[in-house]
Amino acid sequence: MPKFTLNGQEVEAKPGQTIIQAAADHGMEIPHYCYHPDLPIDGNCRMCLVEVEKMPKLTPACTTLVNDGMVVRSENERVKEAVRGVLEFLLINHPVDCPVCDQAGECRLQDYYMVYGLHTSEIPLGMKVRKRKVIDLGPMVVLDQERCVLCSRCIRFFEYVTETGEMQFFGRGDHVAIGTFEDRPLDNPYSGNVVDICPVGALTSRDFRFKCRVWFLHATDSVCGGCSTGCTVRIDHRDGTIFRLLPRRNVEVNRSWLCDEGRLSFHKLSDGERITRPLVKGRDGVQAPVTWEEAARSIDSRLKEIRDTNGAASILGFASPSATNEALFLFKRYLDGLGATQFDFRLDSEDKKLADEEDQILRHFDKHPNSMGAIKLGLMSEQVGGIEGAINAARAGRLKAGVVIYFKPLVERPGDAEAEGRVLALLDELEYSVLLTSHKADWQDSASVVLPVAAWSEEEGTYTNFEGRVQLAGKAIEVEGNALPVWEVFAMLLHASGAESPWMSAEDVFATMADSVSVFSGITLDQTRLPGVVVG
Amino acid sequence: MTRILLANIDKPEQASIVKYRERGGYKALEKALAMDQAAVIEEVKASGLRGRGGAGFPTGMKWSFVPRNTGKPTYLLCNADESEPGTFKDRILMERDPHMMIEGMAIASYALNCHLAYIYIRGEYEFVANMVQKALDEAYEAKMLGPSVMGKDFALDIFVHLGQGAYICGEETSLIESLEGDRGYPRIKPPFPATHGFLASPTVVNNVETLCALPWIIQNGAAAYAAIGTEKSKGTKLFSVSGHVSKPGVYEVDLGYPLVDFINNEAGGVPNGRKLKAVIPGGSSVPVMTAAECPGVLLDYESLLKAGSMLGSGGMIVLDETTSMPETLSVIADFYAHESCGQCTPCREGTGWAAKILKNIVAGKGKRSDVDLLLKIADMMEGKTICPLADADVMPIRSFVTKFRSEFEALCGDN
Ligand SMILES: Cc1cc2nc3c(=O)[nH]c(=O)nc-3n(C[C@H](O)[C@H](O)[C@H](O)COP(=O)(O)O)c2cc1C
Ligand code: SF4
Ligand code: SF4
Ligand code: SF4
Ligand code: FES
Repeated sequence: MPKFTLNGQEVEAKPGQTIIQAAADHGMEIPHYCYHPDLPIDGNCRMCLVEVEKMPKLTPACTTLVNDGMVVRSENERVKEAVRGVLEFLLINHPVDCPVCDQAGECRLQDYYMVYGLHTSEIPLGMKVRKRKVIDLGPMVVLDQERCVLCSRCIRFFEYVTETGEMQFFGRGDHVAIGTFEDRPLDNPYSGNVVDICPVGALTSRDFRFKCRVWFLHATDSVCGGCSTGCTVRIDHRDGTIFRLLPRRNVEVNRSWLCDEGRLSFHKLSDGERITRPLVKGRDGVQAPVTWEEAARSIDSRLKEIRDTNGAASILGFASPSATNEALFLFKRYLDGLGATQFDFRLDSEDKKLADEEDQILRHFDKHPNSMGAIKLGLMSEQVGGIEGAINAARAGRLKAGVVIYFKPLVERPGDAEAEGRVLALLDELEYSVLLTSHKADWQDSASVVLPVAAWSEEEGTYTNFEGRVQLAGKAIEVEGNALPVWEVFAMLLHASGAESPWMSAEDVFATMADSVSVFSGITLDQTRLPGVVVG
Repeated sequence: MTRILLANIDKPEQASIVKYRERGGYKALEKALAMDQAAVIEEVKASGLRGRGGAGFPTGMKWSFVPRNTGKPTYLLCNADESEPGTFKDRILMERDPHMMIEGMAIASYALNCHLAYIYIRGEYEFVANMVQKALDEAYEAKMLGPSVMGKDFALDIFVHLGQGAYICGEETSLIESLEGDRGYPRIKPPFPATHGFLASPTVVNNVETLCALPWIIQNGAAAYAAIGTEKSKGTKLFSVSGHVSKPGVYEVDLGYPLVDFINNEAGGVPNGRKLKAVIPGGSSVPVMTAAECPGVLLDYESLLKAGSMLGSGGMIVLDETTSMPETLSVIADFYAHESCGQCTPCREGTGWAAKILKNIVAGKGKRSDVDLLLKIADMMEGKTICPLADADVMPIRSFVTKFRSEFEALCGDN
């Protein structure tokens, strides 16, 4: 391990690390525009210049490898003067339209200006190089060429990550401008990422721009619910509304990226009406609102009645691969308590056929965030054989009752409507059905009981991605009406059935799960934070 | 004075392989092919030959950095991008004596164990490229190139590549990018072309004039070459002289020849009885020298450096007393602003900004504070960029402004 001195402090670097990387590992940010930890190094902006003893010139921290015994200074006057100079250069042709720029508040030009710049502009407005503004670059991105600092991050993203190469510099000298060939739209499935990595307001989000100044937003750490990859995200929200999803860097999962579908997946949550109260079908066949206590009592007694009459094997537990591990754990525990043996969660046998939507970058064909959790918790059985098997068993009279959790997928696919049709068919065939879901739909009339539950982002919990990585998602938004997190519904049912039900939070449930389910045994909630923990 | 590069430049039909061979051409290649590859490199090292493209790096040493047996091919790239204002020496070599360059390339290729070489010619030299291609065709025909060079077990192909009109593509790593089909952006060094050059393989980039010196060195021996010139600047050098002289053109001198004598004797002196005002000795990117600084200065790497300027590419621009220094600098600054590849911030923004300020000053719209601003911009650019193009702008800006400050201030009046 090379040791070097950074601003007078002796620190260690990993072999092959550049100065900027090693400094970052020790909590020291060297100012930069073009350097990005998940892109190849380009060394063009010259913001990261540092002084290295025995080197006559200042050298870029992003391109210079740490050598044993190196003495690096990033904070002396010579370095500050150089950085200030680069910043002044970047601003001479900048339009300074910050008041109408959507990047304001998270712009690296603004940030560094406050630290290093604070110079007065020496170039009259009429002398600035003018470029094009508000260029439409497709569904995700709007471009303002004048605000671009020409760091080439976007170019490198499309060159090395998606390998689609849409963006390029045009012209030379101070007339260089960023763009796509003939303004062609960016229509690859990851284009939204360049908005995140653009350090300034040159690339802004078509979806988010002008919706909210960023300093009004609250951030909650979460996991994308869009597919089984489980990208690590941050939910930016305000007053109960989600404004955007941003990647949280996780080298083990998504590095700094999200797919566009996942990025926009939160919009699905505001699609359609919410169910706000538990509904129980009366003798007249009409669903009527009841309290949670009434609902829990009636469900528990009805399920026990059916079990006593038809045997425990007549009760089906049909889980959702979009529910959290905690939800699925208590779901299973409650039904286990009744003696139920029939479990499954597989909604779409079609999934495999849609494999063309999978790619080598992030997107997984399975559009549910927690299929692996469902499998690990023992919710898949060959005996049931997925939803088709369950429908047939119900039709044949082997299954009488079912507790079904269903969430509309956050990322749409052809075949979703058919999958929903199969849930309806299952409810239709069952004599008694309890449906836990978040959004209202016509077909839900078939259920004997409908329980309103929290959707993605509305409860804390963990998800297990396709490789078995367990990651924690926080609660960003309050649930609507009387809806409850799924785990809480089953905690209530367990209580109604006379079992122990000591959990006060998803965290408590997690602890019990880690204690009692062997695959999760020994893991702590802390381990489920970045980068998450892989279970066997 | 010894004539090595221009020995046959005025002889009839020197560009044809027949005449070239009649006058002793391709004998050096034959001699080299009979030597060890390593021995050829040693010979070039011993000759003291330094790169004539501008940087003056010892050629033999550069070759010895090229790793052997990497499993990758080694490439030789002949830099014929000649675009520095004031420089037009390579052109005459290619037009009049192209086989000397081809023979030099073949010798270098043999020494480096390179089997594929390119000549990168600036786009504006299309007619030159055609002449070079004709010479290459003849060389193939005569089996000086091809699968078996001069009947020996050594294969060599040489291709011509025409640039697209960017000065920056003369910078060696930018040239490589351009040759690979990408934007002509200089690369960050290290890694150096010697290990990671063209197609990420070991590569040597040499200037036309450098390569043209090789046949003579092999033929006459390193000692003969090293006997010419000074202690550290060996051999002869071409100077392309333009501006206020009676006989502008390309001249070959022994390194160490006195600058003033060169202007007066070779280039015919400043015409019309006018006085010398300044000299840019090595192409537009080197610091300008005032007339007072010239006496005693010799045309070699060390003497010019000591005098605060550089030998550069040998593109000498002579300026007489009628010259407006702000206007001259404005033209030079425009060139660098136009030619900056735009990759790195200080150069992209600094060259453009400086050019605009100078335009203003020349138009009588400048402020007195602009003069210092120019120097500040020079400080902000210098030594902070990927390639030396920004410094190539800094050197004229700083030297013109400091040495002729009153002229700039006079144009600004009381503003
Ligand atoms: C901006 C810039 C332009 C250059 N243009 C040329 C050129 O036109 N011809 C050339 O031979 N070298 C040019 N060079 C120098 C080359 O990078 C390189 O040093 C040279 O080709 C090496 O050959 P030599 O060692 O034989 O001189 C340029 C360098 C810079 C920084
Ligand atoms: S648009 Fe943004 S990311 Fe792309 S080069 Fe410009 S500043 Fe960099
Ligand atoms: S790849 Fe999957 S988890 Fe990642 S952002 Fe897209 S939908 Fe979300
Ligand atoms: S110094 Fe100028 S020419 Fe060289 S890489 Fe930077 S921007 Fe391009
Ligand atoms: S961050 Fe190092 S040069 Fe841009």
